Amino acid sequence: MSVQLPAPDFDAQNYARPNQDWICGHACDGNACRQGPDAKGRCRATAECKPALKTLPGETKGRWVCTRTGGECESGPLPDGSCCKPIAKCSPVPTLRVWRGRMTLAVIAASCAVLLVVLGNPPWRNNFISPGTISDPHSGAAFAALAVTNHLNQSCGACHVAGNSGPNGIVNAALNAEPGILDLKKLAGEPAAKPTMIDASCLKCHVGRNVHQPGAPPVSCSFCHAEHQGRVMAATTDANCYFCHGDVQKQRIAAFGRDLGYHAYVIHHFADDHPQFKFITEKLRDSDTLKFNHALHLTGATIPKLPGGAKLDCAFCHSPDAAGTFMKPVAFEKNCRVCHSLQFDPQTPELQLPHGSAEFVSAYLRSLPKQYLDLAAKQNVADENSFVQQKLTGLRTQFGSGVDLEKRIFLSTSTTAPEINVGNVSGATRAIFPGCAYCHEVKNSSIGSPEITKPMQTERWLAQAKFNHAAHANIACAQCHDAVHSKDTADVLLPAKETCAICHSPRGGVADSCAECHTYHRPPVAAP
Amino acid sequence: MKRFRRQFIFGLFALIAATVGALWLNEKFNALPNYAYLTGWTLLAGMFVLTIYNVRKKLPFLPLGKSETWLQIHIYLGFFTALLFLIHLNFRAPHGWFEVVLAWLFVLVSGSGMVGLFFSRVLPRRLATRGGEVIFEKIPALRHALKTEAENLALGKDGKSLVIAEFYTKRLAAFFSGPKDFWKHLAESRREVSGLLAELEDLRRFADDAGREKIEKLSTLVRQKDGLDYHRALQLSLRLWLFVHIPLTYGLLIFTALHIILVFGFSGGAR
Repeated sequence: MSVQLPAPDFDAQNYARPNQDWICGHACDGNACRQGPDAKGRCRATAECKPALKTLPGETKGRWVCTRTGGECESGPLPDGSCCKPIAKCSPVPTLRVWRGRMTLAVIAASCAVLLVVLGNPPWRNNFISPGTISDPHSGAAFAALAVTNHLNQSCGACHVAGNSGPNGIVNAALNAEPGILDLKKLAGEPAAKPTMIDASCLKCHVGRNVHQPGAPPVSCSFCHAEHQGRVMAATTDANCYFCHGDVQKQRIAAFGRDLGYHAYVIHHFADDHPQFKFITEKLRDSDTLKFNHALHLTGATIPKLPGGAKLDCAFCHSPDAAGTFMKPVAFEKNCRVCHSLQFDPQTPELQLPHGSAEFVSAYLRSLPKQYLDLAAKQNVADENSFVQQKLTGLRTQFGSGVDLEKRIFLSTSTTAPEINVGNVSGATRAIFPGCAYCHEVKNSSIGSPEITKPMQTERWLAQAKFNHAAHANIACAQCHDAVHSKDTADVLLPAKETCAICHSPRGGVADSCAECHTYHRPPVAAP
Repeated sequence: MKRFRRQFIFGLFALIAATVGALWLNEKFNALPNYAYLTGWTLLAGMFVLTIYNVRKKLPFLPLGKSETWLQIHIYLGFFTALLFLIHLNFRAPHGWFEVVLAWLFVLVSGSGMVGLFFSRVLPRRLATRGGEVIFEKIPALRHALKTEAENLALGKDGKSLVIAEFYTKRLAAFFSGPKDFWKHLAESRREVSGLLAELEDLRRFADDAGREKIEKLSTLVRQKDGLDYHRALQLSLRLWLFVHIPLTYGLLIFTALHIILVFGFSGGAR
């Protein structure tokens, strides 16, 4: 049996017990008692000795004897058997361990108290546990009104099942969650972007997902639109789009076995693997029946100068809409009549044909005597009838009968006659009005006026993409639209992908994210 | 020393390897659905191992491995858990009140642990350099003994010197009365005690031989008291960081438990 002996220099008189919770109150004076306080911090000091009762043979009462270590004291025990030298009691002092324990308990108590108070008060609770500011569309007065309309809760309960519940309800919801708290296998294996119960809440207001492709797989709203990220909902990122467009397998599934063609591309960056625009790959042509030669109008030597002397340029015909996003359609009255005045009588520039309806033109031509009469009245001609007859005779001489005149006006494409100076075009230029068919597709009709096919200007070519002309205002039109080389209306004067990628690429330094041009939810605008 | 260096190199290598591995895994798998759940559980497992080190210390009789090994694991896992925490946060600052409090608790617990590690690596070496060994619990008694001795020397009846008695009353009584200059000792500043010793040295001009002898003894006592204060400051620092580290760990565990409940209670799968 081994006996553990104290080290030779062990001071049994001043044995420190740092692991005990209390130390003697006299320790700081260097007079700590050997016993020390008890476990509850009570001083155990009593007296210098515990007298013993000694009864000699023949004695009945006996006698108290001092048992002090180091020898009996002079006075000896008191008659009642207690020591005459009681030790002054101290106030035991807690050790650092006790203070640490107390602090730990204080932190635990404070944590529990704060959580109980905050979680017990619904407005505080919602504020406290919210992982971040909710976006403006999902908070504030407008959302509250919408919530009332859609029978939703206006707070967390609008989206979260446990949002209306107190602490018990939250715990229950957590315990019944699917996948469960400890269902790690399911948590790890769950498919990405799978719609959840929260999506059901989204759809109460956002009826229908309205996705860009009918076959697109169902994606949880929160996959792209992360809430609690601030007052402005965070923009979607390319990573959201890669979920499908970075995975050709997913696109095949979305296509339900159809030939994906254009959509089969795996796209990561616009400049790298984004496919060429469809109007180029499919060699689409502008189906507008209007005959227009961009090259002639922009570079032709016969093109007159505009009033004021300015040269005809893109901006004269193509002006942006109110938002500056797209160009307004070209209008005859505003953009063409300044040169193409529709003057039909070489001698009477005051009379011009109406534009916009073949019936109106026919009616106008058939009412020419009346038109001349009105003109005579306006010009205060003394003999109005003679004036009218003179004019009509002039027309007949040049064009034959009224039917011939009408035919010529509708169907002629000749550029040789009649030619005339147009009043409001300055300079030595000459405008011509060979006939409607010079610009329009005119078909003969067996009944009534000839039919003029209404020009259809394509408003949007890249219907799946966003574009803002105002954002590109510092770029010359010709950099993207090769109009000076286009002689045919059928030419689609849009830039190829490579032209856009000069700027919209990491090298160009302009944003090239998917959302820069595309919108997930907006339904595609029908292509012409 | 050789063993310590081997432990350090092994631990550092393991930490670097784990860090590189975790960052690689994060890069590869962070697009996984429920990735935050997975990193969260990993973080919790790390925190659990860190916490049970305290339990291990309270159960020395159980065959749970050497405490030294546990401490090494605690230190290196602590650093790794800080990385896991950043990964769990996706390297972004939290926003909500609850999450901010939770994050701060984690930062304070980790930070206090790192301060503690720094103290436990630096302060013992400084104590050893200064010399002497004092049990922290005995410092008050030793200080009291020094005070009594100094008092007797300066104010005792034998050969009382008025100059020394006055100097003691004005300058040294306060110095011997309790612990002094905690922060200055931590900062290794000895300006205060040097000033006192210089002033004592100046007294020599006004003292006779017996007085000079007393001044010499008083100087020794001042040095001893200063050494005692130095030990107290450094040893107390070695203990005080635990006053932040341990209590806040419990707060962190409470908030973490609630965090798990809230995450699942407000998740898309909550029923």
